[in-house]
Amino acid sequence: MDILVFATVVLPFLAAIALLLLRDKGSRGLIVVGTAVVLAAASLALVGQGAFEYGPKSILGISLDGLITLLDFALLFVILVIAMTKLKNPLVAALTAIQIVGLIYLEFFMMDHGAAKAAPAMFADSLSMIMVLVISIVGSLICVYALGYMPAHEDHLHLARSKQPRFFFYLVAFLGAMNGLVLANSLLWLYFFWEVTTFCSFMLISHDGDETSVKNATRALWMNMTGGVAFVFALIFLQKTGTGLYLSELLKPGFSAAGAAALIPLFMLCYAGITKSAQVPFQSWLTGAMVAPTPVSALLHSSTMVKAGVYLVLRLAPAYAGTMLSGTLAMFGAFTFLTTSALAVGQSNAKKVLAYSTIANLGLIIACAGINTPAAITAAIVIIIFHAVSKALMFLCVGTIEQKIHSRDLEDMRGLYMVMPKTTIVALVGVVTMLLPPFGVLMGKWMAIESAAAMKYMPVTVMLALGSGLTVMFWARWAGILLSTPYPKGVPAEPQAGTVRGPLVLLAAGAVLLSLFVPFIYGGLIEPAVRSSHKAAGFVLDGFNFVNQQGVFYVYPLFLVLGVGFYFAWKQARKVEAADCVGPYLCGAQSPGDDKAFLSTAGAPVGYQASNFYLTWLFGEERLTGPINMVSGVLLAVMLGLLLGGVI
Amino acid sequence: MGKLLLATLAVFLAPIVGGLIAGIDRKITARLQSRFGPPILQPFYDVFKLLGKAPMIMNPWQVLTVWVYLLSSMLTVFLFFMGSDLLLIFFVMTIGAVFFVMGALSTQSPYAQVGAQRELITMLTYEPLIILVFVSIAMVTGSFKVSEVFAYGKPLLYQLPLMFIVLGYALTIKLRKSPFDISACHHAHQELVRGVLTEYSGPQLAIIEIAHWYDVVFVLGLCALFWATSAPGMIILLVVTYFAELVIDNVTARMTWKWMLQSVWCWGLALSVLNLLWLYAG
Amino acid sequence: MSMLKDWINKGRLKSPWVVHFDCGSCNGCDIEVLACLTPVYDVERFGILNIGDPKHADVLLVTGTVNHRNKHVLKNIYDQMPEPKAVIAMGACGLTGGVFREAYNVVGGVDKVIPVDVYVRGCPPKPEAIIDGVVLALEKVKAKLEAAG
Repeated sequence: MDILVFATVVLPFLAAIALLLLRDKGSRGLIVVGTAVVLAAASLALVGQGAFEYGPKSILGISLDGLITLLDFALLFVILVIAMTKLKNPLVAALTAIQIVGLIYLEFFMMDHGAAKAAPAMFADSLSMIMVLVISIVGSLICVYALGYMPAHEDHLHLARSKQPRFFFYLVAFLGAMNGLVLANSLLWLYFFWEVTTFCSFMLISHDGDETSVKNATRALWMNMTGGVAFVFALIFLQKTGTGLYLSELLKPGFSAAGAAALIPLFMLCYAGITKSAQVPFQSWLTGAMVAPTPVSALLHSSTMVKAGVYLVLRLAPAYAGTMLSGTLAMFGAFTFLTTSALAVGQSNAKKVLAYSTIANLGLIIACAGINTPAAITAAIVIIIFHAVSKALMFLCVGTIEQKIHSRDLEDMRGLYMVMPKTTIVALVGVVTMLLPPFGVLMGKWMAIESAAAMKYMPVTVMLALGSGLTVMFWARWAGILLSTPYPKGVPAEPQAGTVRGPLVLLAAGAVLLSLFVPFIYGGLIEPAVRSSHKAAGFVLDGFNFVNQQGVFYVYPLFLVLGVGFYFAWKQARKVEAADCVGPYLCGAQSPGDDKAFLSTAGAPVGYQASNFYLTWLFGEERLTGPINMVSGVLLAVMLGLLLGGVI
Repeated sequence: MGKLLLATLAVFLAPIVGGLIAGIDRKITARLQSRFGPPILQPFYDVFKLLGKAPMIMNPWQVLTVWVYLLSSMLTVFLFFMGSDLLLIFFVMTIGAVFFVMGALSTQSPYAQVGAQRELITMLTYEPLIILVFVSIAMVTGSFKVSEVFAYGKPLLYQLPLMFIVLGYALTIKLRKSPFDISACHHAHQELVRGVLTEYSGPQLAIIEIAHWYDVVFVLGLCALFWATSAPGMIILLVVTYFAELVIDNVTARMTWKWMLQSVWCWGLALSVLNLLWLYAG
Repeated sequence: MSMLKDWINKGRLKSPWVVHFDCGSCNGCDIEVLACLTPVYDVERFGILNIGDPKHADVLLVTGTVNHRNKHVLKNIYDQMPEPKAVIAMGACGLTGGVFREAYNVVGGVDKVIPVDVYVRGCPPKPEAIIDGVVLALEKVKAKLEAAG
């Protein structure tokens, strides 16, 4: 146990320090790949062990609780110093100072450090295991990808001195922090790792050091810091009411019976989760974070770090089940899903489309947590897993594409197959696994809508239905653009570094195969997670099909029919000869030998252009962001107001 | 086993029924315009002729996408007659719709591009409505399964009259009838040529037509669910609904996609919410 | 297999989709073409549809005088029709260039640019003649296919 926890949590930090010290390329590659392999193996071994509780007391004679507290303060002071000197941002400084003061009050005036510990500092159930797996395997693959990506990225910037050691330091350290976060039972530990991820995120967004990235990183920092402040308040509040600062204490049955006294800290923690997951009105930090190098977007801002927020909300779901907080969270998540899907439709910037779609999926997860039935929690976990894989894949694809065509605009991806056929196919797999059955993300969406309908949350179902339609729109057109090619046979595969192609292919295969094995994943991990939190399973596996009162999802019949059918369709497509292919219909007036131009009356070619409908008059950022922020701000205020009203 | 047989039979019969419906549709439309109209079997003649034409496409993706479209439509009908989960069936149908649009987008033709974009807007318009129809059915019967609708015992129409109108919107869009025939109308030679279908020809066009027949059977099947208690009831409901569609088609003009998106969402959502509220109250 | 072939051949005769290209006619012929679609003549009775896309069409119906400006457009549209296909030249101008035959910019009849199967005379021809022409064109297609096996 010691070794496995050490390998998943502490080892990445040690590797990070080594990466900072050993600056040469060879050892960097060795350390990153080595850490990746060890992490993946350790996470699998951890899962093999099953659920556990673990209360390490001290390391080398130093009390771990004390060490964490010390590191907490150190980290906050570092942020304070950065805020005052480099950023000169009074808001960040103030938010940090509030946390320091709050923490001092909590640690030195409220807590009795001599008392016996009420619970072990760490624990893992199936939900934590799933998170550890996602972090350690998907996250590691992204780190490996970064090995191939960063040299090209730096070439482009013409740096005098490589900043890669620093970059990989934060990237790999982040993996340790995330693992710590999801394994922590002590809320103080959780808070520490929470702040580490905030800090890593800030450092990585501002990595390139230009004005925009520093500005966007600062925005990310202050928004997440408000979450941090809420977290500290929640801790103080819990301590005041005499609840132990452990997740396991919050999850004890009957905790929410205390009424507002229990719900206010829960709301604070959920608020922290909401800021971390960049839900509206905090979506701007995540879209701003897209200035960071692509591995950062993939690792922190889609597949793992932002999942910390929904992890916390989901983890606390049994604690607030049946309360008004649960219902409002469902509304809030569904609202985020709808609005950010709409914003994604209005975007032509591929990374922003991915960013908004990430926020939308996180919103969907929060909505599921709010719906709070076993089926809904199953949906949430399914989306966490499959979204992480497919979205990481999509981000890595966009990064690879951008390095080749020097654009991240959807319109510039027309004819991409002619330039990079392999990456195009991989990206298509990404889109299809995000959007269509029988793949996992869609299955999650199916579960979500059915469970919302079962709970008769009308506003939630209406918003989910609308949002679902919007999702189809922006994914389908992207897939179409990726296909847009003249006769594509015989296009040579593009050369690519192994560290780039490896993760791409593995993630693509993972996205497909994981969906294929979903009944087993469900039986092995998801169902135990739901059972441990909600005492019942959302679905019964009937011949590998997901069945419950509401409906049925056929896994293998769909896979079989669609798979065979797709293979047949593929065969038919392979039969097409170049001779069967002609140019487009251009009223007979096309320019000879050029499919992309009409012939003018003067005999000169005149190009034409057709582009996507982005519907910016309806879904543009300028049009929607203001109203969305207002409505969501009001929603949050109403939630808080109702809770406070309960106290008074 | 009986279900499987029924569903398999449905997959074989659906294109025949769909084609006949298209033929009757053309005949009645002609009569409404004081014309004589083509033979009832005309849609079959068209499709067989198209199957016999030489292939002429822009890239192999189009072949891939039309086959996937046909496959998903067949699977949709199969699952529907198996009495399976409505929402799942709908997502399976989405596969085909998405691939169909992908194929059109894969060509660099401006007309197909515009048509594909409009097709996406039509999908955006009807998808939420259909999902809401399913949700309301599930709220009445307690399940998304088609088989539960038949087990329910009362016609859904009594409790979901407004949802039937909402489904009517979706049906009009899916049948490509005026005022929503914006993406592939064959009357709009100048503005669209044939919209999303422009670059599909010959055998591919025939496959799309057959897949479309499956879709029509599926959507009409959804309408039939609203009077699932008796076979004559179903038939009367379908005949009346389809005739209403034809009248609407002939008395309205093709409108813009903006108008479609705004009006259908507004009306569709308003009607859905009203009907759902009524369910709550009741 | 042979049944499918029979059905296809039947379809070919019963479902001629016509694309109409106006090479610069005086609109006399064009109006007669449109007259065919009206309830009086109702060509849909024979499965004839006026289609806008040559890629979907079986019959190319050309009206007007072919000139040096538009001959490549005519050729292009013809090339974009998948086989089997037929061409109908219609009206005095389509047949020979008509009264514009000697003009400096006129090529002459449609058959100077693409092969023509059926010539429909008249200035303009009557709708009945046009319908007749389409039917005749189909028979030519059938004969061609039978000759090719």
